[in-house]
Amino acid sequence: MATLKKKVTPEGLNFFKAGLIFISFIVTATLVMAIAALFMVPDVKDVWESLQSEEMIFSLKLSLWTGLLSTALVMVFALPIGYSLSRFQFTGKGFVKTIIDLPVAFPELVLGLCLLLLFGNTFIGKFFNALGLNFVFTTQGIVAAQFFTALPYACRIMKSTFDYINPRMEFVSRSLGYSMFETFMNVSLPLARNGILASTVIAFARCIGTFGTVLILAGGTYMKTEVLPITLYLNISYGNMGMALTSGIVLMVVSFVAIFVFEQTEVSL
Amino acid sequence: MSFLSVRDLHIDLGEFYLQGVSFDLDRGDYLTIIGPTGAGKTILLESIIGFWPPDKGDIYLGGHTITKELPENRNIGIVYQDYALLPHFTVYKNIEYGLKKKDPRGMKQKIVEIAEALSLDHLLHRKPATLSGGEQQRVALARALVVEPRMLLMDEPFAALDPQTRRDTRILMKKIMSRQNTTAIHVTHDLNDAWALADKVAVIRDGLLAQFGSLEEVFKRPRTPFVADFVGATLLEGAVVGHDHGLSVINVNGFTMRTIDNVDIGTKVKLALRPEDIIVATRPPQDTSVQNNIRTTVSSILYEGKTSLLSLTAGKTSFTVLVTNQSLERLGLSPGDTVYAMIKSSSVRVVDSLTC
Repeated sequence: MATLKKKVTPEGLNFFKAGLIFISFIVTATLVMAIAALFMVPDVKDVWESLQSEEMIFSLKLSLWTGLLSTALVMVFALPIGYSLSRFQFTGKGFVKTIIDLPVAFPELVLGLCLLLLFGNTFIGKFFNALGLNFVFTTQGIVAAQFFTALPYACRIMKSTFDYINPRMEFVSRSLGYSMFETFMNVSLPLARNGILASTVIAFARCIGTFGTVLILAGGTYMKTEVLPITLYLNISYGNMGMALTSGIVLMVVSFVAIFVFEQTEVSL
Repeated sequence: MSFLSVRDLHIDLGEFYLQGVSFDLDRGDYLTIIGPTGAGKTILLESIIGFWPPDKGDIYLGGHTITKELPENRNIGIVYQDYALLPHFTVYKNIEYGLKKKDPRGMKQKIVEIAEALSLDHLLHRKPATLSGGEQQRVALARALVVEPRMLLMDEPFAALDPQTRRDTRILMKKIMSRQNTTAIHVTHDLNDAWALADKVAVIRDGLLAQFGSLEEVFKRPRTPFVADFVGATLLEGAVVGHDHGLSVINVNGFTMRTIDNVDIGTKVKLALRPEDIIVATRPPQDTSVQNNIRTTVSSILYEGKTSLLSLTAGKTSFTVLVTNQSLERLGLSPGDTVYAMIKSSSVRVVDSLTC
């Protein structure tokens, strides 16, 4: 360590390097202070009372079950999509990849609007209606909104996970008599364990935090389609800071846990 | 029909391709495939095992076509350079993996037997990540062999091993392959693998089969300058000028050489010389049985571990000779010295003849 430091010192006065590091710290510090503010501003009693309010309990419950259901659905789709994109060459692969990735750069509100139009009065909407599924201004709509918002992240993580698994392990498994499906179950899935975990926590955090898409497709109705981000939004508009801050804190904790788990898995996005 | 028959195989994966590759192997043959990086050696293996469907051509195994057979139904084993062991399984589970699917009866007995043969018996409970390269490679070999595959394919299996482990594994491989009489194809960069293990050798270049034949044929009678260069031989061109007691006398650019191969007078020929078949002497040799004693000049010396390659020039012709560093020191050779190259007429191989 000591020798290393000595080597670094002669170019210690490199303004370029110092400048870049300074910029990194400035932005990080601002973010840290913003996050800290969320925890410092409200008093504990206020948060505790808000947590026990009927509205907050409703919102927490709704967020939890829609988030879990959406995450499960996201993973059911992200696994095959990620594997196909990683392993197979097929016509239209580039198109599928672009469209799946699109929502990453897409404003959530616009995504919500598109889904609203699709599930509204089109034959697709009527088809789902016939199946007993109505996505417009309903809790089912929350799940649909969360699903489409979180799917791209999960697909990307699953693709990069499968990219890192040596396809030769799958080749060997097939040469030993296992079919493609058996090989997927015996080799690819167990080796993708970390990626699946990372993908699940990120998907869950995205689902819980989805606001714009939910607002447009499911509506932000008090005690009906009110998930945590909606609670935050509604209470900010009423000037009810305690409730707003409490939902903010809950969302923040979920994100921190998700990012912490994600970092542990050493999977890349 | 031969055991394995590859007929006019064409495959194009963009970066790697094969064009019209055909060859035949008998049961128990050990083929090594050599060739530069990117020549298409690995995709040849992977198309025999069934991972890439060929664009054209057929593969027959045991008299039946397997061109359209799924890999899992071909019963061909594969061993990779990076071993491709399943990291979430122990050594035992890795070896057991194929048996469990193909033939679960008496599994334990078979695993113990193969583990003993490959000295893995003390490692069975370990995870692959805790093993050395040589040990991992032996596990990969055990996993492939325990199911008694119809053929074993190996893609540079020793490339990641240190020289000593490589030699040991080679010896072990030789023993186990002849015991099981397994037909094997082994892709390698290391000519020593071919010398030690192969019955047959294929040289692949740019997706084409440059030469295929017995070890003797390819190494001693390389047909093109490329193959000659690749297997370390020298190709000379000359013309047959006479016959002498059943030997053909060939004029090579100013000096003559005698070969036991019988060729008609006036024929233009290519001759192959192997560097290890030539003896050098600092004085004109007398009273020897050697037919060809050529006065040459040492043009360069290339040191390679225990041995050196001398480049000798006679007139406009050059060829290389392998000598031990010990002999080199004893003779005190340096570039510019005159030496006599002694080449038995049985070591001068005619590889190609063109009648004028």
